[in-house]
Amino acid sequence: MIRFENVSVQYDKSEPVLKDLSFHIQKGEKVGLIGANGAGKTTLMNALLGLLPHEGTIEVEGIEVEKQNLPEIRKRLGFVFQNSDNQMFMPTVYEDMSFAPLNYGHSKEQVDRMIDDVLEQLELSELKYRHNHRISGGEKRMAAIATILVMRPHVILMDEPTASLDPYNRRKVIDVMRSFDRTMLVTSHDLDMIVDTCQRVILLSRGRIVADGKTDVILHDKALLEANRMELPFRWSGNRE
Amino acid sequence: MHMADALLSPAVAGAMYVASGTAAGVSIAKMRKEEEQHKLPIMAVTAALVFAGQMINYTIPGTGSSGHLCGGMLLSALLGPYAGFLSMIVILAIQCLFFADGGLMALGANCWNMAFYGCFVGYFLIWRPMMKNKWFSKMGTKAAQRIKIIIASVIGCVVTLQLGAFSVVLETSLSGITELPFGAFCALMQPIHLAIGLVEGLITAAVLVFVYEARPELLREVDTSEGRGVRAKGSVKTVVIVLAVVTALVGGALSLLASSNPDGLEWALFGNKEAGYSENMGLDEEEFGIDSKVAEGAGAVQEKTSFLPDYAFANNDTAAGTTVSGIVGSLMVAGVAALVCFLGGFFKKRKRASKESGTD
Amino acid sequence: MNKAEKSLYEIREMDDLAAGDSPVHRLWPLSKFFVTIAYIITVMSFHKYDLNGLFVYVLYPVVMFQLSGVPVRTFFRKMRIVLPLVIAVGVFNPVFDRDILLYVGKVGVSGGVVSMVTLILKGVFALMASFILVATTPIDDLCAALRMIRVPAVIVSLLLLTYRYIGVLTEEVAIMTNAYHLRAPGQKGIHISAWGSFLGQLLLRSMDRANELYASMQLRGFQGNFYYREGKKARFADILFLVLMIAVFVFLRFFPLAAWIGKLVVR
Repeated sequence: MIRFENVSVQYDKSEPVLKDLSFHIQKGEKVGLIGANGAGKTTLMNALLGLLPHEGTIEVEGIEVEKQNLPEIRKRLGFVFQNSDNQMFMPTVYEDMSFAPLNYGHSKEQVDRMIDDVLEQLELSELKYRHNHRISGGEKRMAAIATILVMRPHVILMDEPTASLDPYNRRKVIDVMRSFDRTMLVTSHDLDMIVDTCQRVILLSRGRIVADGKTDVILHDKALLEANRMELPFRWSGNRE
Repeated sequence: MHMADALLSPAVAGAMYVASGTAAGVSIAKMRKEEEQHKLPIMAVTAALVFAGQMINYTIPGTGSSGHLCGGMLLSALLGPYAGFLSMIVILAIQCLFFADGGLMALGANCWNMAFYGCFVGYFLIWRPMMKNKWFSKMGTKAAQRIKIIIASVIGCVVTLQLGAFSVVLETSLSGITELPFGAFCALMQPIHLAIGLVEGLITAAVLVFVYEARPELLREVDTSEGRGVRAKGSVKTVVIVLAVVTALVGGALSLLASSNPDGLEWALFGNKEAGYSENMGLDEEEFGIDSKVAEGAGAVQEKTSFLPDYAFANNDTAAGTTVSGIVGSLMVAGVAALVCFLGGFFKKRKRASKESGTD
Repeated sequence: MNKAEKSLYEIREMDDLAAGDSPVHRLWPLSKFFVTIAYIITVMSFHKYDLNGLFVYVLYPVVMFQLSGVPVRTFFRKMRIVLPLVIAVGVFNPVFDRDILLYVGKVGVSGGVVSMVTLILKGVFALMASFILVATTPIDDLCAALRMIRVPAVIVSLLLLTYRYIGVLTEEVAIMTNAYHLRAPGQKGIHISAWGSFLGQLLLRSMDRANELYASMQLRGFQGNFYYREGKKARFADILFLVLMIAVFVFLRFFPLAAWIGKLVVR
């Protein structure tokens, strides 16, 4: 589904941000991408989305991420930004949700149906005609997810989906993520959320993969995490007892 | 400097719409030609930034007052003249619609006065020539750039504000709205906007210098090559101090001059049109003399109106509506208006009452 | 509240007013738009002494305020921005134009006084009309109306995008201003040492924001087109309102209604 082969990314002439990364994500897999600040998580996402030039090979469903393939690639990927305000630039939730499907040539009636389906699925119908600048942080994050789901992407990419949410909204987002039946790649510092939503974890440090494997193996490895400026997930840290 | 609809006649407002509309059309065509459609997000965010930036109060050193940012120069330095002009139009439109700052029909004039000069004159005649020249190159690229940015911002803001203020005077006078003689109006507007322009220029310069230090590639026409390591000297603070000294000197000299002619303002207001002024005074006397057209006209009206004989009216050719009946009629209209308000309030209360009783 | 918070409040207030429901809210936006323009143009066109002719026009905003339920108080608060300039210009009229135009009782009223009052009324009336338009029409509908009269798509898209981000950035300025003053309690504004960095920092962040925003467009298949909700369809009543109001404005422009009503009583 997603294949990275010896991928490096470098800004200007400075030290490369990603160094020789290789991994493979199978269809239906849910993968958490973790690492300290500056480890290269966001850069990896941007390279995959074709927003940054890279060396090496990145493939999505067998299509290489290259300039001429970008429209095809981007149809398959749905990216939920960390900052929903930057993602949703249209006046209302409805208009924002219809932006992508209309660009991809769906008819207006089709689009209306697609939007209603997604809003119903996420129980957000009352947000439909609300203004993006007037909804709360939690509603905004859910609406941002809705604008991506309506594209029916094959892969969902999320950047810090639970950042700055209250516990109730965080739980809501986690429930939605668990309900996805699609391939998913999530970056986060919220390791408890990763435990809840992903079976596999890739740990990045200074642009390299230091660990790649089952969530409960890697996130139980205190020494490994601490060596990479991370901590055990709260539930496994033993602080609660 | 936002003009209200009331300050313009429809003809002048229309002409200004045509002028600004043409400039907007040219800008859109230019942007299309250079395939700058992808600039829309950056234009919108920058426009929003300028709008938000005008909510910031900057303390002017040595005074109790505060200044604000000048949008036109900032936008054209960041976006270039065409995109800058369109962004400025949008800012003015939003200010007019949501903040009642300006007017729907005056928008054309406001775009011209504030956006056109700031973006086109400011960019083509001041910003670009300034950035392109080789002045101060002895000081090293960085220091030279800083000084050039400061000079361009200050001169740009002063010049564009002067042009804008002058246009306000011109448009209002052409509209026949004010009795203020053209010269006196100018004498009122230009100096105020000179001061505002200086302050706005300095604030804009401070922001642009900051941007230059951090991300020079964001600025139009600016040499982004690394400097030769000469530590930059020209900071905004030194310029402010220099300007403060110069202003104090000039101000002192001017006030010396003014004190030799004590009624300076009086002169500005009345001196220019001495003939007109004395004419007015003459008429003032005539009204007591009952020996004029005014009195004849008044008599004629009095003949027609048996009611309220103490009313009298000048037979001014255009004052068609100004008759006794006109005044009475207007009062009645006012009564109707008050009635509408009263009824509206009455029905609203009843509605609310019925709603409340309905929920019970 | 600092200035940025105040303007945020004003934006939200207008938003909320426009989201209301009333016969005026339900009118076709384009009808309202043209009626407003017609109203302002006729008001502007009155001669500076024609106070009586102008005064009749008070009825339109008054009726609209009542029908729409938009609070007049909000409007009066908004006048503070632009009215001072109008008054500043008008206040000189009585000084220069001392020609006595009429007598009320034994007191002569000069042309300058009449033209000053006319000028101020013009200002208030024009503002009232556009305030009612914006307070009863959501921005999306207004922009759809602008598209219908062929205002270039670039400008309309830019208007909507800018409006969207004015809320976001003004909020940031509000927070930054508070943060500044919490650490500099004695200062009234931004000290000169922070003139550049205060807005400059926000500017740099905003440029990153703009890039992310553009990425969000690209990732969702942007090809240069924005699709906004289509404008509402006109009903018969909307067209009737449009034609009728313009006819009334033109009629009142040439027929001295106030004088006519007055004569009914005076004779």
